[in-house]
Amino acid sequence: MGTLRPPRAVIAGVGHTSFGKHPGTSAWRLQVDAFRAALEDCGLQASDVDGLFTESQFSEPLLMHGSLLGRQLGLRPDVLSTQSQGGATCMSLCQTAAEMIDRGMCKVAAVVYGDNAKTGMPNIYGLAQMGRGQADFVAHGLLGGPAMEALSAMRYKHTYGVTDEMFGSVAVAFREHAVATSHAQYRDPLSMEAYLASRYIAEPLRLYDCTIASDGGACIILTAPEVAADLARPAVRVLGMGQAHNLDGLRDRDHYTHFAGARASKTAYAMAGLGPDDIDVAQFYDCFTSTVLITLEDYGFAPKGEGGAFALEGNLRIDGGRLPSNTDGGMLSCGNVTGWGQVIEATKQLRGDQGPRQVQGAATAICSGHGGFQANHATMILAVA
Amino acid sequence: MSSQWEIPKPEPTKNEETTPFWEGTAAGELRFQECEECGNRQLPAAPACVACLSPKVVWRASAGRGTVFSYTVIHHAFHPAFAAEVPYVVADVELDEGPILVSGIRPVDPAAVSIGMAVEVWFEPMADNPEYVLHWFRPAGGES
Repeated sequence: MGTLRPPRAVIAGVGHTSFGKHPGTSAWRLQVDAFRAALEDCGLQASDVDGLFTESQFSEPLLMHGSLLGRQLGLRPDVLSTQSQGGATCMSLCQTAAEMIDRGMCKVAAVVYGDNAKTGMPNIYGLAQMGRGQADFVAHGLLGGPAMEALSAMRYKHTYGVTDEMFGSVAVAFREHAVATSHAQYRDPLSMEAYLASRYIAEPLRLYDCTIASDGGACIILTAPEVAADLARPAVRVLGMGQAHNLDGLRDRDHYTHFAGARASKTAYAMAGLGPDDIDVAQFYDCFTSTVLITLEDYGFAPKGEGGAFALEGNLRIDGGRLPSNTDGGMLSCGNVTGWGQVIEATKQLRGDQGPRQVQGAATAICSGHGGFQANHATMILAVA
Repeated sequence: MSSQWEIPKPEPTKNEETTPFWEGTAAGELRFQECEECGNRQLPAAPACVACLSPKVVWRASAGRGTVFSYTVIHHAFHPAFAAEVPYVVADVELDEGPILVSGIRPVDPAAVSIGMAVEVWFEPMADNPEYVLHWFRPAGGES
């Protein structure tokens, strides 16, 4: 790896639809609405966008997604990229966009996703598509994200003696944050007792260990600093970027308990010249509570095997925690747009105007994107300008 | 939900890589790939050795014994075809020969399954498509 330098490109705007049920609304509509919202957030026009970066809606995996979306946005971009790395896709796209902006290949990049996963096509459709050709597992009934992630969570629980309450402390803390977030999909308080009483989906994962399903769209606008200087809202700097992909599966017997996030965050920290102690707020890819605990360890916030104790001590809470995390409620309670929400909420926190859920004095944020069932990982470290 | 998105019960796919595996289960044999160059043993099937990229991979028969590397008890039917089967156990089984593969453990009391538990293979034709014979594991008889 060469010398690591932060990009010049900055985050200028973020936008999203409301999260929840939007029956009859297509994935395309959610993507277009989010694009419009992000432009309104930063005051740029669609005609300013010369870079388009997309991921296909998961429920209907499409080839040529970026071209199909760009046509509906009326764009003639200079650069176009569609990527597919599961929950790591958003931050991988942001990293590609930042690099192309730095190279002068585009000036204003829109990174867009949206899906009607709640009321549209069944999620299982996408998974069944993914599973084709690998039916040595689907035929035995290993279907659905929770079932596949549970194999990791069970191994992690067994290896490190993680308790149910440790998993539950993540769900309870993030729900507490969602209660304070006006746009969160689930805002009823959640107690540890209610968590422990909830039904199993795939052991050891209970209902509240699992991400929610949302209809929703999200968009992030990155641009060159000279463009951002003329905009009304302060830009957010990208200090660190990293990726890593563990594609060798269980040939590495630690695959289920040590994610690619360890390598991805190492790169991002080195680029930013920061370490875990310098981070004020975190937005983890919380597809499952177990994923958060393992990422806490991979990112250096807790020793290996002690992420659960870290969470159980209340360290993820806005109210007095060492590392306020998923401050909008995350994918467990606020909304699930597969990795876009993390960068959007980090940007909002660094702008510093988030009312009851604002982390006071937040100057640095780390975001994780995790996908492909322990295969793909991307990290971003953001900071106030 | 419109019929456009109805999804048939998932079943295996035979292709250039996987056909020898499914021919094996039909013959009552659990097979894995072994590299003639470096000795790496692997599942699932791949076009070449994933350790050294040699195309000289050959199929070997497993003794059909292994241990549970990880598992889950699935309570929520993610596909209607499995609704009558919940709760059921899916596991990563580490064969004594080395490779890990996904399978199901049955018949078994889900509460009796644990990581490290010894298991042995058995075979059963798929009810909907007897062309495919699925590999399942059950607790080993004690001599594993």
